[in-house]
Amino acid sequence: MSIDILIPLLAAAVQSGTPILYATLGEIFTERSGILNLGVEGIMIIGALTGFLVAKITGNPYLAFIAAGFAGTCAASIHGIVCLVFQGNQVVSGLALTILGVGLANYLGTSYVGVSTPGFQPLPIPLLAQIPVLGPIFFSQDLLVYFTYIIPFLMWLFLYNTRFGLSLRAAGEYPAAATAAGLNVVGYRWLGVLGGGFFMGLGGAYLSLAYTHLWTNNLTAGRGWIAVALVIFAFWRPTRAVFGAYLFGGIMALQLRLQASGTQIPSSLLLMLPYALTVAVLVLASWRRGKTDEPGALGTNIVPAE
Amino acid sequence: MRFTKLVAAAVLGVGLCFSQAMAKEMNVGFVYVSPIGDAGWSYAHDMGRQALEKMDGVTTSYVEAVAEGPDSERVMLNMARKGYDVIFATSFGYMDPMLKVAKQFPETIFMHCSGFKTADNMGNYFGRMYQARYLSGMVAGAMTKSNTIGYVAAFPIPEVIRGINAFTLGAQAMNPDVTVRVVWTKTWYDPATEKEAAKSLLDVGADVIAQHQDSPGPQEAAQEKGVYSIGYNSDMSQFAPDAHLTAPIWNWGPFYIETIKQVQAGTWKAGSSWPGLADGIVDLSPMSDMVPKEVQDKVMAKKAAIIAGEKVFVGPIKDQKGMEKVAAGSSMSDGDMLGMTWFVQGVIGTTE
Amino acid sequence: MSAIRIVKRQEPLGWSSFFVLVAAIVLSLLLSAVILVIGGTPPVEGITVLFKGAFGSRFAFEDALLKATPIFLCSLGVALAFKLKVWNIGAEGQYALGAVGATWMALSFPNAPAWLLLPAMIAMAVAAGGVWGFIPALLRQKLKTNEIIVTLMMNYIAILFLDYLVYGIWKDPASFGFPMTAEFSEAAIVGRIGATNFSWGLVHCLFLGVLFWVFISFSRIGFEIKASGDNVRAARYAGIPYDRLVMLVMALSGALAGWAGFLEASSTVNRLQPSIMAGYGYTAIVVAWLARLNPLFIGIASFMLAGLRVGVEGLQLDLQVPAAFGGIIEGLILLTVLAGGLFSNYRMVWVRKKT
Repeated sequence: MSIDILIPLLAAAVQSGTPILYATLGEIFTERSGILNLGVEGIMIIGALTGFLVAKITGNPYLAFIAAGFAGTCAASIHGIVCLVFQGNQVVSGLALTILGVGLANYLGTSYVGVSTPGFQPLPIPLLAQIPVLGPIFFSQDLLVYFTYIIPFLMWLFLYNTRFGLSLRAAGEYPAAATAAGLNVVGYRWLGVLGGGFFMGLGGAYLSLAYTHLWTNNLTAGRGWIAVALVIFAFWRPTRAVFGAYLFGGIMALQLRLQASGTQIPSSLLLMLPYALTVAVLVLASWRRGKTDEPGALGTNIVPAE
Repeated sequence: MRFTKLVAAAVLGVGLCFSQAMAKEMNVGFVYVSPIGDAGWSYAHDMGRQALEKMDGVTTSYVEAVAEGPDSERVMLNMARKGYDVIFATSFGYMDPMLKVAKQFPETIFMHCSGFKTADNMGNYFGRMYQARYLSGMVAGAMTKSNTIGYVAAFPIPEVIRGINAFTLGAQAMNPDVTVRVVWTKTWYDPATEKEAAKSLLDVGADVIAQHQDSPGPQEAAQEKGVYSIGYNSDMSQFAPDAHLTAPIWNWGPFYIETIKQVQAGTWKAGSSWPGLADGIVDLSPMSDMVPKEVQDKVMAKKAAIIAGEKVFVGPIKDQKGMEKVAAGSSMSDGDMLGMTWFVQGVIGTTE
Repeated sequence: MSAIRIVKRQEPLGWSSFFVLVAAIVLSLLLSAVILVIGGTPPVEGITVLFKGAFGSRFAFEDALLKATPIFLCSLGVALAFKLKVWNIGAEGQYALGAVGATWMALSFPNAPAWLLLPAMIAMAVAAGGVWGFIPALLRQKLKTNEIIVTLMMNYIAILFLDYLVYGIWKDPASFGFPMTAEFSEAAIVGRIGATNFSWGLVHCLFLGVLFWVFISFSRIGFEIKASGDNVRAARYAGIPYDRLVMLVMALSGALAGWAGFLEASSTVNRLQPSIMAGYGYTAIVVAWLARLNPLFIGIASFMLAGLRVGVEGLQLDLQVPAAFGGIIEGLILLTVLAGGLFSNYRMVWVRKKT
């Protein structure tokens, strides 16, 4: 493959990986607090529909983007209520949320299929876009992609360098000890769930506001599940998530470009690449990890003590 | 005595009127494989259904997003049990389920789109979309400067392959050096993937994007890159005002109305219908002003020729490997066209 | 100042948990009605049509039973894994490979007699599904990879593999180029029972359901599963070979889903084609959870949810409600039942805080 194809491929990898990156960051935030939220797919698609509708009604994509985040928070709160208040099983609750979310978004969005909305267009950064190789790949994207260049860093700052971040991680790592030390573990878990949901909603909105300006049934097409996998690949670190998301986006873009270049490999096999890669990556990540970064109390509910 | 005759006549008269009214009242059901309200395949059929709804004494209903296989069988069974008079099923995979149901309900009429099996009470129909594809290919071939045209396609089934071939032949008629590159998305409706597929074609140098997909995703990609595009199923210019040249489109209304009229008149017979440009079932949407007049004239002339009976798949036609598939001077039979599984020379891509 | 404190019960409530279940379902129906209103459909009429379409006629009953068969078998498999708290999300892919395995047998030996061919198809389907369930288990025990993600990814891979086969080497030459295998020979088809509309597949379900119950209640492995499900550490301490147990259970889990795939290919569709994938593997998870992993309740719940799917089609036909409504009800039922689990698993205790 020549360099001519490589640069657009990498640019496509960045763009394709961005919605997954938002969702992965959200899930990292949630899982760090100890809650496993498998409802990412459902939350993403609700964010996508919300962003689409708000942009269509108000004509303001920025407002739409933020609104999608809040829609994601609301959707995630269902998971929070079922698990944190009603002590429901986290795995099943997340699955149920995905089923509900996808159904709800498809149902409410029926009349908007095939309609377009004002959204975000590519916004090359004046000087930086001229840099050979890096310019077209990183600095000729749209605004929402540029956000993802700083959000992981901000999340890292929050989690590792603030008291709140430390407390959040404590809630996920050793909730019993943290409670004994006077920490409001349930409160921090709520922060994790709601905050994570916000980013998942943003990820969904990226699909309907920037990646395309359309809405359709199942717009997210399983990207939410990829995000859950990437959290593990990223060792629950926000900065690692960037690499994983771009890698995955790259594979998705690659298989299409292989076809366009005239390969004779059957497309069904090419389409397997992203999923097979995810499994391979997971196996590699599990194999290598000695000291695990997995939050110690991930997935277990705690009975709130007094 | 005369009084009895009068009463008899009156009863007969009322009975006749009643039976006339009974004959007119029809319930027609439609089964769609994807949600309507898109600018796509099911949307086009639904437009046809809505035209039918306007007829006197005809009520229509539909079920959308019905998976092929047992689900569709159940949906059709339900419609038949509820006493629907005519049922249209609009996807290939509905064929065998429909056949099963047709056997159980000999009084109901079944019409299957895009298949090949029939029964006494089941016919099939399709549209010669390849004719419109050929015309759109002419436009694409005339407008491309890089001689590479990108084609975003859903699934490697015969109707898609046939469309690509017709498109390519049309493009080559205007520009013999043209190549058509095909990318399979394996989905009928996923704008994000379709747009990405279009972009991948743009990256290998395509400057016209065509599609056999239901969403306007590829159109957006063409618009953003500043190249040309050909739509599908309906005029997609609203999504790509600076890119959209034309689109091969469906127009099912007249066919559905004609079918119901035949059923009402009792003249309907099971068989295979394959109407095309001449019957107005397929068409080319108005060409954009960006297309030069001499190209438009040529296309319209060809359209008139096809309507007058000229064939599209006329030999010599070679396949991708260079083997001659259609001899010079002969044309492909309907059967061969319906089962087309190979690409013509000039198409770059797999058929799997 | 007083507060409500919740305390975990020793044993979940018995009979009153049934009432909680009913209350949850009623609540989810109410919420669904609200959503119908938002979508512009009259709610009362909508719910009525839903029920009539699902359970209101003999046809609906038969349809629901037919649809419940694959859901039931997949759900048995899922429940088996869930008992061990191994989250098998891969029933969909295991079902797909089961169908592929059965098809391979049917296509390779179409002239074999039924009494030989059908068991061979079952064996192949069960083996294929079993392997597909075994792999994530192996990765889980040896490498600690998360089985939720692995099984989910393997779903996609299995379905794409099925596509690859039916678009490519298994494509029926007589199918005019459309992606489907040749129709199975008579010997490869699981048929109807006598003159009824019921398939022999129902008998398979009954057989496997009873087998499942006997296995869990009376065998040593069944006991080991129960013990390990409650407390892995204690089980290991007691000498139960936990790793091997997980791998066995996941293989069996995949095998059951594979059997469902065989039935669907052989009995319902009589060939292999992409549309055999109808999301049964995912519905099976909902069913297994609602039924508290109990085979009798799984039977009831799979019938109910199959009926729901059928009813939603009626809603589409009569009231033009979008197909996605089915997912809304499924999701709501599961969420409300999960929330209701609070009352069966925990006790409310008023506590006076000493100030």
